[in-house]
Amino acid sequence: MGSLFRGEQTEVSGSEILSTLLGSEVRGDLLVLFHRNPGLIDTVDGVARRIGRTTVAVISEVRELLELGVLKQKRIGASEVVYLDRDKDRELLESVANHLKTLRVGEER
Amino acid sequence: MASRVNESGWNGPHGTFEPVSGSLSPDQRFAAENAFSSVLASTIREAVGDALGRNVLEILTLKGLLDATNNSKEFDSKLRSLFGNGAAVLEKIVVKDLNRKLGIRYDSEASFDYEKSLETAWGVCFVESKLK
Repeated sequence: MGSLFRGEQTEVSGSEILSTLLGSEVRGDLLVLFHRNPGLIDTVDGVARRIGRTTVAVISEVRELLELGVLKQKRIGASEVVYLDRDKDRELLESVANHLKTLRVGEER
Repeated sequence: MASRVNESGWNGPHGTFEPVSGSLSPDQRFAAENAFSSVLASTIREAVGDALGRNVLEILTLKGLLDATNNSKEFDSKLRSLFGNGAAVLEKIVVKDLNRKLGIRYDSEASFDYEKSLETAWGVCFVESKLK
């Protein structure tokens, strides 16, 4: 499988980061998978199997997380693999936390 | 005894939800509700922490969101006020983990209802406590 993402990451707000991270059920599953296994390095096929999904269902969701920067991609031998960028992940979740601090529980978004 | 149950344990959407015929003694029911409440609260903390990290979990705790875990309707409403559509994604993560702990199959293709999913899980917990 070729590279999923080659673009530059642009600066995004905590609100936008949150919307991207929780943009779909599959993305939620991917976040939990990589946070529970922060050293995980696997192909998209492998990642899909680990969360009980098909590659087709996962590929666009992985691409979203690559574009956000929470996941990174590299080539190992003949395979393209994805893994968690721990520093970027920490930075993004900090932005989300700061965004949530500004919200009041009970107010409609 | 009913007020004791509602104050301390699982307070589902219908309050008097009784998943199967037959009954536990008030003390047994109280214990079952507390056990379920405890599993649910820890599952929510794990799910939110694993999805969004400890800092976010800490903020939600400070905002009192995790105080509402026993009332699925209130929890859902508070979660939506913070996460919008993302609340459903977090709720699905919670239900998946809860179902795994209780040995209930999760069908990601089926339509999702947080309250109903918790009712099902509570039903399983209730039946298991009757069998003990």
